[in-house]
Amino acid sequence: MKISNLFRFASQVSPAPLGKSRLFFKELDQQRPIREYDFVVYDTELTGLNPRRDEIVSIGAVRVRDLKILVGETFYVHVKPGQALPKNSTLIHRITPQQIEQAPVIRDVLPEFVDFCGESFMVGHYVGLDTTFVNRALKKHFGSALYNPCLDTLRLAQAYREMCWEQYHDRFNMSVSFNLSDLGKEYNLPQFAKHNAFEDAMQTAYLFIYLVKKMREHGVVTMKDLFNAGRSWRWVF
Amino acid sequence: MRGFPPVGGEPSKDLETNAAMTSNNDKHMVAPDVVLDFLKKSLPFKELEPQVLESLAGRCLIDFFPKATVVFKQGETEVSHFYLIQKGGVKIYLKDEGGEILLKDFRGEGEYFGALPLIHDSKANLNVETVEDTFCFLFEKEAFLQLVRSFPAVSNYFLRSMSKKLVNTVYAELREHRMTPRTESSLYLFSEQVGQIVKGKPHTIAAGESVRRAAARMAELHIGSLLVYGENNDIIGIITDKDLRTKVVAAGMDYQTPISRIMTAPVEAIPAHAVCFDAMLAMMRRRIHHLAVEQQGEIIGVVTTHDIMVLQGTSPIYLFREILAQRHIAGLYGLSRKVPQVIRSLIEEGAKANNVTRMITVLNDHILDRLLTLLIDELGLPPVPFCWLLLGSEGRREQTFKTDQDNAIVYADPQDAAQAAAAEKYFAVLADKAIEHLVACGYPRCPGDIMASNPKWRQPLSVWKRYFDQWLITPEPKDVLHSTIFFDFRDGYGARSLADELRQHLVDNAGKKDLFFMHLAKDCLEARPPLSFFRNLIVEKDGEHKNLLDLKTKGLVPFVDFARLLSLKFGIRESNTLGRLQLLAEAERLAPDLYRESVDAYEFLMHLRLVHQMRMLEDNRQPDNFINPADLSDLEKQTLKEAFEVVRRIQSSINLEFRLSDL
Repeated sequence: MKISNLFRFASQVSPAPLGKSRLFFKELDQQRPIREYDFVVYDTELTGLNPRRDEIVSIGAVRVRDLKILVGETFYVHVKPGQALPKNSTLIHRITPQQIEQAPVIRDVLPEFVDFCGESFMVGHYVGLDTTFVNRALKKHFGSALYNPCLDTLRLAQAYREMCWEQYHDRFNMSVSFNLSDLGKEYNLPQFAKHNAFEDAMQTAYLFIYLVKKMREHGVVTMKDLFNAGRSWRWVF
Repeated sequence: MRGFPPVGGEPSKDLETNAAMTSNNDKHMVAPDVVLDFLKKSLPFKELEPQVLESLAGRCLIDFFPKATVVFKQGETEVSHFYLIQKGGVKIYLKDEGGEILLKDFRGEGEYFGALPLIHDSKANLNVETVEDTFCFLFEKEAFLQLVRSFPAVSNYFLRSMSKKLVNTVYAELREHRMTPRTESSLYLFSEQVGQIVKGKPHTIAAGESVRRAAARMAELHIGSLLVYGENNDIIGIITDKDLRTKVVAAGMDYQTPISRIMTAPVEAIPAHAVCFDAMLAMMRRRIHHLAVEQQGEIIGVVTTHDIMVLQGTSPIYLFREILAQRHIAGLYGLSRKVPQVIRSLIEEGAKANNVTRMITVLNDHILDRLLTLLIDELGLPPVPFCWLLLGSEGRREQTFKTDQDNAIVYADPQDAAQAAAAEKYFAVLADKAIEHLVACGYPRCPGDIMASNPKWRQPLSVWKRYFDQWLITPEPKDVLHSTIFFDFRDGYGARSLADELRQHLVDNAGKKDLFFMHLAKDCLEARPPLSFFRNLIVEKDGEHKNLLDLKTKGLVPFVDFARLLSLKFGIRESNTLGRLQLLAEAERLAPDLYRESVDAYEFLMHLRLVHQMRMLEDNRQPDNFINPADLSDLEKQTLKEAFEVVRRIQSSINLEFRLSDL
């Protein structure tokens, strides 16, 4: 994974199928304060981790505007995959084959999800993985992908931790974890159930507004600042 | 065909179509449980209907404020939302013209801010600053005001009144969560061994004796059965009340008949290590009321159905009977330990703290009464009439499980020196022995030595009057302390007229002693309501402070002091705090709303303490008055805080009434 990808512009292969968003994001002004942008924080549950073979079984998302979580603007669906649900994935996300029997297929879910995302920035924890699956499905069924820029809370957390380094040896502390629930515990955030797309999206949203507002104390005010904070990341591992 | 055309086309139209189709699947409209669950636990929202809560939750915003963020600025911030703290805490303070900061309050999880500016449609009236990283649920002004307008429970709550309904909810929750739901009595049946409840060596009689002798002996011993021994001194049978009734009296048999003809033989016996439940089963199965208890081939005693019923102990009546039936002081020792069982069942059935403390008081009074009666039987009659005075919490009938002895003796003024010497000697012995026995019964000594065994507190009536006068006329700090203990006296045993006369003397003399009242009133203000307790509550989560709250001195004592102060001032003879408050309200010496709130707050505090002590007893710990705020539910914390608010109010009314601020 490349370090400069704090902003991960999704695939640029296909021409303009997903509405006006491509143009919108191309002309994006990054100089405005972070709080003026809209975000959709999301998470997916999968049948497995192989993007070529595995599929999405649920998507959870919540909108953040003015750096506040909009509790009434949420998105949560189960998705019926094309293949039988592998047992070992059920053990993780606790979605059973019966639960998704009546669920819509990904092709019927995606348009609404794209609509929900609109012109927001996409935020996720290790968001690259979720975006890969969403875009692969979008390309398969609709021939294009999301153009919305993505922000990874995992990288933000790494950048924030670096800002908090006070002593040289802090950076060699190998016991730190960037796991979503470990971060939640470390920062004393309200805790959510693990491995549920919606609960994870909520947990990520809490983490996101926490990090952005905490980084403001370190001079991160505009979207550009946030971008640079990610870029100047000094990778020690 | 649904979906996007591969290239070009009109994607937005297709998007709409698809959105319309999939939106039948409404899962995505559900408001997150995190908000809903939180509202269901928070006052006053938990009182609302589920649909109202759901719609409210759907309109919620979640915001985050890093530590030391100023959320409201006094006189500047236009308040647009109502804030409910999900995690973290804030301090609320005022800045006066001189820039002096006046701390008003700390609010933590489940508490709110911003209600008043919204209701009054004004700018922020106070400064609000986070003292920790804080997450809040925000509700828009309109949504909040609509709630206030539509639901009286909500508006009442935000106008900070302790409504009855809310208080009752708290009691229900306390009962539910603080008490381990179980029936003590049944557990006792399974844990107590038969050998442990045997009351000493069995009473026996020779098989050759007459049934008349047997009946006389049973009457003399107040028991219902005798074991019968044969020629080798072996136990060969048992004779019971029932045998006498059915086999002798009803059958018209000669009273000289030897016991061996009517006794039940052989004796039904049970091993000493069997649990009481087995004994109960054995008796029920054989339809008998007595069982011999056997240990290594020897009969060590008898258990009866009555013993087992008493052991169950959930009914206070059994305990009363048991106390009254004791013929030796040592028999009383174990009984006070049964009080918690009786009390637990009362609390489980929903008794309020006031009923419970009265019950404890009555039980303790009975034990004292029995103890002194037996002691006087032993020592002979006193040379002059006396009254055993109960002081402090015993005097106020507000005993809980942890009650030190506070007592004294007043006796009639002796006629001459000889009588005086005799009285001194007699009461010294009586007091010493009584205190010893009370300690054995489980009432610890008073650490301040305010007990009848202290010669200073064992005096004729005239001396007591002199004590009281002295405390009233030239109060020293120590005297004020004494007066708070002694002026709550009541008669515990003996000549009530002595206590009455002393009370009359106090009522006649107290009213106009301004200096005394000034000292007493000042003393009332000593216990500052623990508002900082809520700050520590916030700090405590960081695991840095082990902070316990003293419910007695911080919470209960201010009410007790307040009631005592006003009662002395206005000549109320009652010593019980709630009784005093009621009489004061009836005499219009206490405003009706302050009266009602005081009663609610005081009862809540007493209840909290009782349940706390009950739990400690059940964990085999010595009961105390210290609670850990972290153990309380949000609702209990809220109510506790309301109670402290009432403390603050009664203290400011004392300030006004006794013009302390003019000094």
